[in-house]
Order: sequence, then C-alpha cells, then structure tokens
Amino acid sequence: MHSNSVGRDSFARYQLAASAGILVLALSLIGAQSSPQSTAPQGQTQSQVPAAAPQSGQPSPASQTAQVAPPVATPPKLLIMIDPAHGGTESGAVLNPTILEKDITLALARRLRLDLGTRGFIAELVRDSDVNLSTDDRAAKANAAHPVLYVCLHATSESGGTGIYTAMLAENGETNGPFIDWNTAQFSFLPASRTAQHEISEAMQKSGMPARSLSAPLRPLANVTSPALAIELAPTKADVSLLSASDFQQNVSTALANGIAQFLSASGAPR
Amino acid sequence: MIPRQFLITVIILFALAIAMSVYVWQLRRREIRSPQLTEKNEHVAPPASGAMERVTVYVAYDSGGELRAQSISIPLAAGRQQRAEGLLRGLMSLYTAKDSTHPLTAGAEIRQVFLVDPGIAVVDVNSAFVEGQVSGVLPEELTIASLVQTLATNMPELARVKILVDGKEQETLAGHADLTGFYDVQQIAEVAKQLSAQ
Repeated sequence: MHSNSVGRDSFARYQLAASAGILVLALSLIGAQSSPQSTAPQGQTQSQVPAAAPQSGQPSPASQTAQVAPPVATPPKLLIMIDPAHGGTESGAVLNPTILEKDITLALARRLRLDLGTRGFIAELVRDSDVNLSTDDRAAKANAAHPVLYVCLHATSESGGTGIYTAMLAENGETNGPFIDWNTAQFSFLPASRTAQHEISEAMQKSGMPARSLSAPLRPLANVTSPALAIELAPTKADVSLLSASDFQQNVSTALANGIAQFLSASGAPR
Repeated sequence: MIPRQFLITVIILFALAIAMSVYVWQLRRREIRSPQLTEKNEHVAPPASGAMERVTVYVAYDSGGELRAQSISIPLAAGRQQRAEGLLRGLMSLYTAKDSTHPLTAGAEIRQVFLVDPGIAVVDVNSAFVEGQVSGVLPEELTIASLVQTLATNMPELARVKILVDGKEQETLAGHADLTGFYDVQQIAEVAKQLSAQ
C-alpha cells in the first residue's frame, strides 16, 4: 500500500516534469518561429541589409522570454568588410620589381579601416596579414559576417584612374528555398551594389581623382550576399611608385570612406 | 648425346627471344619519335588562306583603358571554324606587333576555336598568351572583351564564349578575370559599350 502511494507520487512528479519540459519546448518553438531571421528567405533578409544590418548584440526573441531586464537600446554598428586582394604566395600584379599588388591592397585596406572607424562604422579585413586565401574562402568569410558592404581592393600598373567594379552577372541562378546559387549569389544585391558604385565614384571625382564605373568578371564578387564592389587602384600618371606613396593612399582611402558613408546614409542606415 | 626434342625447343625459344628483342627495339624507337611529333604540333597557327576580307575587330588600348572598333583586311577561309580562328589570329597580329596598343608576348597564339551549336564558341589560347598578359582587372577585361566582341560582331549567331588555356580550364587569365565560366555575349557587348564610351 505504502509502496503504491510512493509509486503514484513519483509518477505524478515525472508527469509534472514532463509537462514543464513540453511547455518550455513549445515556448522555445514559438519564440524561434517569431524570429524574422529564421523565417524570412535569405535573399529577402539580405536585401534589407543596408537599412537594417544583422545586429550581433541584439538578443533573440527566444532569449527575451527568459530575460527579466529590458533589452539595451544601443544603435547597431554597421559592418563593412574590406578584402585586400591576393596575399601569401599569390602576389597579384608585380607592379614593379619592389612593389607587389598584395602589399598595396593590404596597406590601403588598413587605412580604409581607420577612416571608416572615425566615421562611426566597424570595418573588418578579410585578411590582415600576408596569407593565402582562395576567392571562395573570402566570399564565405564575408557572407558569414553579414556586412552592409563588401569592398575588394586591387591595384594595377595601367594608368587611367581608379576602377570601381560590380559583378558581371547575366541572370539569376537556381534558388531553392533558403539555398541560393553560389555562382550568382550576388544577383539580388546588384542594384544596391550599383548605388554604392555610383556614390563612391562621385566621392572619388569630388576629391579630384578620376574614377570609372564598370562591371567585371571578377571573383568573388558574384559569390557575395551583400552589396559588393571591387576597387582597382591605378596611378593617375604612368608612375607606379605613386601607388605606394602615403599621401596618395590616404587621399584614396578618405575618398572611399566618404563614398561609403554617403552610400550608407542614402540607404537610411543608422550609425 | 643431347635429345633431339630438347634441341628443337632451345632453338624455338632462341628465335622467339630474338623476335621479341627486335619488337621492343622498334617500340623504343617509336616512343623516342613521338615527343618530337608533339612539339611540331605546338605550332598551331597555319598559314593564312582564303580570300581577303574586310572585317571589324575590337582593339584594346591600354593607354586610355578603351576598346575601339577597327576595320582590318585579313584572309578568311569559308568554313565557320576556320573563319573564327582567322578573325582572332588577325586580332592577335595587332597585339603582338611592335607598336601594339595592348601588347602581348610574341609567342601568344590562338590555338583553336571550336564552335558548338547552339551558339557556343570555345577559344583555346596558348600559355604564352596568358604569360604575356598584364595583370589587373582592367587590362584582363580589355583582352576578354576584345576577343569576345570581335567574334560576336562577325558571328551574330554566337551567344556564349568559353576561354581555355592549352586546352584546359584555368581559374583566371592573369590573376583577375574569371575563366571558369562562359562569357555571355550580350553582357560583353554592354562592357564593350562602357569601355568604348570612356
């Protein structure tokens, strides 16, 4: 008799624990479903990137249910991903026997990171040292960070002004639910990329530097799921050593930062 | 006394050994000759043949980063494939000339052009073509736009162009322009327009 009552009590406790577990699970599921990032297709979420970038510091609705304190209302910092092209054994163009493209792009990328930082943005480099990275790795790193803009830096010895490039894409690839075609991942972001191209081109020309806007068959632009540009630094006259000059690099960096700030401001992105 | 049957067997085996030696020696000689034949095949540009024709080619100008349409007279054969090869070889003769506006090394060649229906051209260039290419987004784009736009202007049925290097797919032309996919002729026409409008 006594053992029967103990058995019933423990059965009741198990039932209670199971019910509580199911309730917690149900609440978590409801919370997860109400999260816009989990339900919206990737393309839609990404297309809103300049206006509302993914906020790493903001708690998810699921965790909000567990928290007592209200969420901290800090404005999100916008992330710009800067990719100094080439690196490691892949030196890029040999601009002259002592100047390699990989070194120029890294130096300019570091300057641009500083200039964007002073304007209230967060800028990260895809590589911050002399390392080999494939174009797929670069795109994967940029896509994982969900930047509001991806800027790939190049340099050439051919004079004729700075080139500002968007991806050359003829048509959109196959999209299957949240999965998009790697080779045409940039397609839905092309209009935003062209707006950024226009703003940066204007900023360069305002600074007295000739700039050309073109599209180019250049990886990894086509694989990036955010507005994406490639910027090819070129000497304004047939003097390649100008590319490594501190003043020249600083002028380019300032103009680029102004153009990027203008693009993000036009997109309504907060700082 | 050696048995007769044993003697016959030894003679037959000896004859077989000599025959095998001769056969192996001939195989060796053939193997030595074959690399020389391959080397000869590398000179793929045949002497120009066919009637002289006036055609439009798109020439890259490095100085201003431009692409300009230019009319030249070259001998062109009647066959579609030979015609495509003739067009690009005519263009290459401008780029390998001494006063070229978009210099490529002297050994740069178009090995072959394959036309695949519907509307695909596969252009096979040699490694000297790639080695002589100036590295950079714009210089490489100029080369590709020049090749594709020249072909497309003279062969209106063309829709896509693929570029191979020594018969194999290469990742980029000289570190920048992507060679892993097909070039859409309409897109290159847009780029050519942008490059001509500078």
